[in-house]
Amino acid sequence: MGVLFILMGASFLLAAGFLAGFIWAVRRGQFEDTETPTMRLLMEDGGVKGTNLKEKKEPHE
Amino acid sequence: MDCAVPIDKPTDWVGSEADGSRLCFHCGLVCPDSAFALGEKHFCCAGCKTVYEILNEGGLERFYALSPAAGVRPQGDSARDRFAFLDDAEVRRKLLDFSDGRVARVTFHTPAMHCAACVWLLENLFKLHPGIGRSEVNFPRRQVSIQFSEAKITLSEVAALLASLGYEPSLNLGSVEGPVKDPVARGLVLRLGVAGFAAGNIMLLSVSSYFGLNHATEGFIQRAFGYIAIALALPVFFYSASGYWASAWQSFRARVLTIDFPIALGIAALFFQSLWDIFMQHGEGYLDSFAGLVFLLLCGKWFQRKTYDRLSFERDYKSYFPLAVLRKTEAGETSIPVSKVEVGDRIIIRNGEIIPADGVLISPAASVDYSFVTGESAPIARASGDYLYAGGRQRGGAIEVEVTKAVSQSYLTSLWNNEAFNKSERPDITTLTNVAGRYFTFAILAIALGTALFWWFANPSILVRAVCSVLLVACPCALALAAPYTLGTALRVLGRQGFYLRNTNAVETMAKADYVVFDKTGTLTTSRAQEAVYQGMPLTEEERAAVAALARHSTHPISRAVSGVSDRAVEILDFKELAGRGIQGRVQGRLFQLGSRSWLQARGDDTTAAYLAIDGDVRGRFVLKAAYRPALRRVMAALTERFRLSILSGDNPGEEAALEQLCGAGVSARFQQTPFDKLEFVRDLQEQGRRVVMVGDGLNDAGALKQSDVGIALTEDVAAFTPSCDAILDAQVFGQLPDYLAFARASLRVLRAAFVISLTYNVLAVSIAASGYLSPLISAILMPLSSFSVMGFSVGVAKIVARRMGLGA
Amino acid sequence: MSNIETFRYDNRIVRNFALATVIWGVVGFLVGLFIAIELFLPGVSGNLAELSYGRLRPLHTNAVIFAFVGNGIFMGVYYSTQRLCKARMFSDLLSNLHFWGWQLIIVLAAISLPLGISQSKEYAELEWPIDVLITIVWVIFAINVFGTILKRRERHIYVAIWFYIGTIVAVAMLHIVNSIEIPVSWTKSYPVFAGVQDALTQWWYGHNAVAFFLTTPYLGLMYYFLPKAANRPVYSYRLSIIHFWSLIFVYIWAGPHHLLYSSLPDWAQSVGMVFSIMLIAPSWGGMLNGLLTLRGAWDRVRQDPVLKFLVVAVTAYGMATLEGPVLSIKTVNALSHYTDWTIAHVHTGALGWNGFLTFGVLYWLIPRLYNTQLWSTKLATTHFWIGLLGIVFYVVPLYWAGIAQGLMWQQFTPEGTLQYPNFLETVVQILPMYKLRAVGGTLYLTGAVLMVINLIATVRSGSFEPETEAQAAALTPPTKDVDGPNPWRHRALERKPVLFIVLSLVAVAIGGLVEMVPMAIVKSNIPTIPSVTPYTPLELEGRDIYVNEGCYVCHSQMVRPFRAETERYGAYSKAGEFVYDHPFQWGSKRTGPDLHRVGGKYSDSWHFLHMEDPRQMSVGSIMPAYPWMLHNKLKTSGIQKKMSVLRKIGTPYTDEEIAAAPDAMMAQAEEIAARLKAQLPDRASQIDANREIVAVIAYLQRLGTDIRKSEVVEEVAAQ
Repeated sequence: MGVLFILMGASFLLAAGFLAGFIWAVRRGQFEDTETPTMRLLMEDGGVKGTNLKEKKEPHE
Repeated sequence: MDCAVPIDKPTDWVGSEADGSRLCFHCGLVCPDSAFALGEKHFCCAGCKTVYEILNEGGLERFYALSPAAGVRPQGDSARDRFAFLDDAEVRRKLLDFSDGRVARVTFHTPAMHCAACVWLLENLFKLHPGIGRSEVNFPRRQVSIQFSEAKITLSEVAALLASLGYEPSLNLGSVEGPVKDPVARGLVLRLGVAGFAAGNIMLLSVSSYFGLNHATEGFIQRAFGYIAIALALPVFFYSASGYWASAWQSFRARVLTIDFPIALGIAALFFQSLWDIFMQHGEGYLDSFAGLVFLLLCGKWFQRKTYDRLSFERDYKSYFPLAVLRKTEAGETSIPVSKVEVGDRIIIRNGEIIPADGVLISPAASVDYSFVTGESAPIARASGDYLYAGGRQRGGAIEVEVTKAVSQSYLTSLWNNEAFNKSERPDITTLTNVAGRYFTFAILAIALGTALFWWFANPSILVRAVCSVLLVACPCALALAAPYTLGTALRVLGRQGFYLRNTNAVETMAKADYVVFDKTGTLTTSRAQEAVYQGMPLTEEERAAVAALARHSTHPISRAVSGVSDRAVEILDFKELAGRGIQGRVQGRLFQLGSRSWLQARGDDTTAAYLAIDGDVRGRFVLKAAYRPALRRVMAALTERFRLSILSGDNPGEEAALEQLCGAGVSARFQQTPFDKLEFVRDLQEQGRRVVMVGDGLNDAGALKQSDVGIALTEDVAAFTPSCDAILDAQVFGQLPDYLAFARASLRVLRAAFVISLTYNVLAVSIAASGYLSPLISAILMPLSSFSVMGFSVGVAKIVARRMGLGA
Repeated sequence: MSNIETFRYDNRIVRNFALATVIWGVVGFLVGLFIAIELFLPGVSGNLAELSYGRLRPLHTNAVIFAFVGNGIFMGVYYSTQRLCKARMFSDLLSNLHFWGWQLIIVLAAISLPLGISQSKEYAELEWPIDVLITIVWVIFAINVFGTILKRRERHIYVAIWFYIGTIVAVAMLHIVNSIEIPVSWTKSYPVFAGVQDALTQWWYGHNAVAFFLTTPYLGLMYYFLPKAANRPVYSYRLSIIHFWSLIFVYIWAGPHHLLYSSLPDWAQSVGMVFSIMLIAPSWGGMLNGLLTLRGAWDRVRQDPVLKFLVVAVTAYGMATLEGPVLSIKTVNALSHYTDWTIAHVHTGALGWNGFLTFGVLYWLIPRLYNTQLWSTKLATTHFWIGLLGIVFYVVPLYWAGIAQGLMWQQFTPEGTLQYPNFLETVVQILPMYKLRAVGGTLYLTGAVLMVINLIATVRSGSFEPETEAQAAALTPPTKDVDGPNPWRHRALERKPVLFIVLSLVAVAIGGLVEMVPMAIVKSNIPTIPSVTPYTPLELEGRDIYVNEGCYVCHSQMVRPFRAETERYGAYSKAGEFVYDHPFQWGSKRTGPDLHRVGGKYSDSWHFLHMEDPRQMSVGSIMPAYPWMLHNKLKTSGIQKKMSVLRKIGTPYTDEEIAAAPDAMMAQAEEIAARLKAQLPDRASQIDANREIVAVIAYLQRLGTDIRKSEVVEEVAAQ
C-alpha cells in the first residue's frame, strides 16, 4: 500500500498548510472581533451608490 | 451576542407613526413639531437635522437606506473647543495608539453605536473629512479606531466630528490608560488549535490500529504511523500542554496541590508510556488519548472564560473623573487636562460637572451632590471658603474653585491607595475543583503505591506498566472539565439575564456566601426618582400649584422633586434664584420662597430639606425622600431566609425608620458611613469568618466591593461607570438578585454531582488499570466517554436547572 | 487622506461566469435527463456511439460538477472576494484567462467524452492533456484570488474567503495526486497506480472532490450571500469560524468510505467510516448557523424567492451531510452500495444544495449587476416550487429503487438459493422508478428554463454596470503593539504566510510526488497471487475499449465478501487480482451485474450477439447496444507503446512479448474469430478477427479467471 504514503503525505502537507494558516490568522488577531465582520458585510455593497437603496424602495412583492 | 440587528422598518420610510405624529427621519423619535423639517423629512431636533445634512453632503445618505432612522440624537453642543484639551501634547501622546508625525491613529469608545448602519457610517468617516483615513469599528467593544493625517485635522476636530454625528466619544481620565487587552486569549486559541489538529490526525493513525492494522501484515505501515503520531504529539506536549507543566510545578513548589498536579501527572504518564510502547514496538501507544485529553482540557479553559467586551470590571476612579477641566487665568478660560491641574489653579466647574481635585470654593455658594462618592443622597450646600472634596458633582450654576491638592492626592484618590486594592490575584486554591484535586492526588498516589506493592510480589515484570497505567487513567480530566462547563454555563445564563460575572470563581464564591451587605443610596434607592414630602401647615391646591411652578424654574435636585407636587400651570412673576439660599417668586401678588433653613430662619433638625415661606412666614418644609426600588421589600424578605443582611449608608439616619419598616428588623443598618468605614465593616465580617457579598453602586463602595468576597456593582446603565467589582448587576433585574444567588448555589450542586460521575469513571478506569489490563483502545474509548458525558451533564443539567428556576436559558 | 483609494469592482467577469453557469447548467441538466431516459428506453440513443449511456454519463457528471457548479463557484467567488477585500481582482488578464481557459476545458470535455476518450476515473475521466490544462487554469485562479487577498483593503479576512482558500489549495492537491498518469498518446494514458492503490487514490480524490469542490466553496458562498439576501448578520460568526477549521481538519480523511467491503484493507475502510461519521458535527453546525441566520426573518422567506432557494439549499446540505455518514456505516453500506440509493444521495446534494444555492445567488446577483429589479418574483417562486417538486420526484423513487433492489440482491429462498438469480429481474422491478426519476428531472429542467427566461427579461429591463466604484483606505498597521511603528514592514509580514501556503503546497506536492512514485510502486506490499498474470495484448486492447466505452459506469468489478454476492457472481475479489489493472475498474454502481467473474461464464458467441444488441440475449435488458464494435477495426499499431508504458509502471512484460505483441494479438484474435464462426455459422460472413468486438470478448472471457486456474485459491481465501 505504498500509495498510502503518498496520499497521507499529500494530506498531511495540506493539513500542515492549513495549520500554518490558522496560526497566522490567530497571531494576527483575525478572530478576535467575531461580530463586526458579519455586520460590515451587510453594508459593503457597492461604493457611493449602492443598489440596496433601490431595493429598499420597491421590495419583492 | 449583544449585536443590535438592523431592524427592518417599513421600507417606504418617511417617518410617520400610526397616530399620525411625525417620527424623526434620523433617530426615529417622535417630533414635537415640524420646526425642523426638510421637504417631507421631519426631524426631532436641530442636532438630528444637522447630522442628516452632514451625511447628505458627504454622500452618505445611504445610511438611512441601510437601516432607517437608526441615527443617534447628538447630545450637547459639538463645539470643538469642548475637545480642545485633546490637542494638549500630553493628552495626545496618551490617547493616540500610533503616530509617525504625519499619520496618527486614535481609538475612541463611542457607546452610542448600536447597529450595522452605525458600523458602516463610522467606517466611512473619510468621506466626511479629507483629513480622515481608515477607520475601523470594533462593535462588541463599541470602539472606533480612526487614522487621520495630523496636517489636515486635529485630534479635537476628530472628536468633534464624531460628537456632531451623535457618536460622542466617552473621554475620561481612564481612557488615556488605553483599552485593557486580554493577553491570554490568543495563546489559548493557538494551543487549542494545535492540540485539536494533532488530536484529529493522531486519531486517524491510531484508529487504524484499533481496526486491525497490525504488524503481522503491515508492520512497516504500523511503525511509520507510530512515528508520525509521535511527531504530531510533540507540539501538544511541549506547547499546548505547557500551561499544565507550569502550574503543576508551581503548586508542587507552593506545597498546595491544585487539580493541575494530578492532570500533569496523568498526561505525562500517557505521553511517556506511549513513547516507550512505540519505540519498543509494544503497540500503538496512547497518543490519541493524550492529544484528545489535552484538547478537551483546553476546550474547558476556553469555555470557562466568557468575556463581556463592553464591560470592564477593572474601572477605578479614573474612569469617573473628567479628562479635562476649565482653568481660569488672567488670559481667560482654557480647557486643560486634569492631570495638569496644579495646586493654586482656579478652575471652573459647570452645572453637572465633577470636581476633579480637592479645593476651596471661591464663588459665593455651591450645591454639591456627593451621592456617588459618599452615599449622601441630598446635595450639600457649600458657601464661599468651604472646602470641597473631589468627586462631587456641582448642581446649579457654574462655580469657581481654587485647587488645594493635586488630583493624585485628593480625598477619593487616596481611597485607592488602600491595600484592599492591591490584593494580588492568586489562583484560588479553595475552589471545589482544587480541594477535590488535593484529595484526588493523595488517593492516586496511594493506589499507585498499592499497585506497585501488589505486583512487586505478584509479577514484578509488569509492575512499571501497571503503575504507569494507574497514573494515566487516573488523570482527572473529566473532573477538571466539570467546573468549567457547569460554572461557565451558569455564567452565560446569568449574563443573558443582565447579571454579568467576572469569572467562574465568582459563581462559586457567591454560592458559598452567607452575608450580604447593601449600600443604600443608589443601590436600594434609585438615582432616577426622588419624591418630595411636605411637612407642616396644610397647603391649598393653589398654593401647592404655585410652589410647584416656582420650583420648576430651578435645576436644583430638591426643586426638581418639589416641582412634582402639582402639575397645574401657574404664572410666576419676578423669579429670583439666590445661589446657595433658594428661590423666590410672586404668584398673584403673594411672595413664595423656597430655600435653606438658615435663609428663612426656620426651626427644625438638620435633615436635608427645602423650607417654604409664603409672604415671609414659614409654612413647612419639603423633605426629600429617596424612592426605594420597588422590588426592595421582596428582595430583602427573600434574602433574610438565608443570609445575614446589613445596610451601610453614607446618609444621615433620617431614613432609618422607613428603612427598617421596609427591610424588617433583622437587617442592621448603619448611617454616615465613610467609604473607609464600609471597607472596614466588610473586613471585620470576614475576620469573623463570614463570606460577604457586597452590593454597591458608587465610588464610596469601591473599597468594600473590592474587599468583599464578591463585589456586585449595581448600575442603571451597563455602559456607564461602575467601580471595580466581581460582578455587574443591571438595575432592571435587581428584583431577581435572590434567584441569581440561589441559582449560583444550585449550579454548585450540579458541579458536585458532575464530580461524582467523573470520579466513578476514574474508579472504574483505575480498577482496570490496577489489574494491568488497560489497552490503548480501552483508554481511547473511556477517555472521551468520561469527558463528553461529564461535559454534557454539566451543561445540560445546569441549563435545565436554570429553566426550572425561571432563568430561561 | 492620502491613503484613501478609489477603485472599481470588476462586474464583467462576474457576469461572464454567471452566464456560463446558466448555459452549462441547462446543458448539464439536459444530458442528465437524456441518460435518465436511456435507462428505460435504451433505443433513444439511436445506437449512436456518441450518445451511448457509458459515454454520456461522464459527460453529465462533468458538466454539472465542473461546468455548472464550477462556473457558479467562480461567479460567487469573483463577486464576493472583490467586495470582502475591498479591492478589484488582482489581474483582469488572469480573470479572463481563467474564464476562457475554463470554458475551453469544458468544451474539450464535451467533445472528448462522447468520442470515448476517457480515463474511467469518476469525476476525473478527462484525459491527460485536459488534466494539464485544468492544472494551469486552476493555478491562474489561485494566483488571481490570493493576489486579491494580498492587496485587500479590509484587514479582516471574512470566513467565506477562508473557505475559498481551502477549496483552491485542496483541489489543486487532489487533482495533481489523482492525475499521476503516463501518456501513451494524446488521447490515452495509464495511471501510475494499479488496482487497490489506484482505487484508494481515486476515492481519496472522489470523496474530496465532493468535499472541496461541491461543499467548501458553496459554504463560502452561503456565508456571504445568505446574510446579504436576508439582511441579517450571520447567526454566530464565531461558530462559522469553528465550522471552517474543524471541517478542514477532518474532511480530507473520509475518502476510503467509498471502498467499504472492497479489497481495500479493513482498517483503512474503518478509518474512512469513523471520520465520515465525525463529519456530522461540523456540517450540522454549519447548517444550523445558516438557518438560524434567518431567525426573525421567516416572514421575508415567505415573500422572497431568493431566501426560499437558500433555505432549501442549506437544509439539503444538512440532509446530505447526515445521510453521507450513515451510508458510510458498514452495515448500511452493505445494502446501499452499488444501488440507486447512492445516486439519490448525491442528487440530494447536487440538486438541493448546489443547484438551489446557485439559483438563489443568480436571482440575487443578476438584478444587482444590471441595476434593476428581478423581472418577475412570481416566476422565480414558480421555479422554486417546480424545482422542489423535481427534487422530490427525483430522489424519492430512487431511494425506493435503491433499497428495493439492494434487498432483492440479498434475497434468499428458504431452500437457500437466490430469490432473484437473474440480475435482470431486479432491474425490471425498478424500471417504473426510473421513469418517475425522469419526470423529476424534467420538472427540475423546466424550472431552470423558467429561470433563464426570467433572467433574460431582467437583463433586458436593466442596464449592465460593468464596474462599481468604491472607496476605501489602504491597509496599514493594526496597532503599534503588534508590529512596530513602521507601517510598511507589516504589509510584507502579513502577505508572506498566505503566499507561502499556496505556492509551497503546489510546488512541494508536485516535487514530492515525483520522488515518491517509484518508491510507492516498489513498496506496494499487496499479497500477490502467483497465477495472476498480465493481460495479453488483445485483452489489453479489449480492456482499453471497455474503459473508453465507460462500462464501469454500470458494471462493477468487485465481488464483495457476502454470501449473496459469492452465490451470484462467484469467489469474492482479492486485492491481489488487480495488480495489473491500470486503471482499476471496480465501479461504484451496478445498473448491470458485476463482471469480475464473468470470464468463461458465457460463450464467445453470446457476448458477440449480446454486444450487438443485448435484447437478443436477455429480453428487457436496458443495456445499450454496441453495434459499432462489430464494425470498428481493431487498432494494432499502438499496442507496443502501451505495453512498454505499462512496463515502466510495473507490469512485467518482457522485450520479447512487446516485440511480438502485434502478431500475438492477431493470433489470439483469429482463435476467437474461429470459435465465433463455429458457433454462429449463419453470421460467419460478418465475423472478422480484427474488429473491436473480438478484443472485448477476449478481455471479458479473461476477467477473474486467473484465480480459478490456480490451486492457491484456498490459501489466498484463507488470508
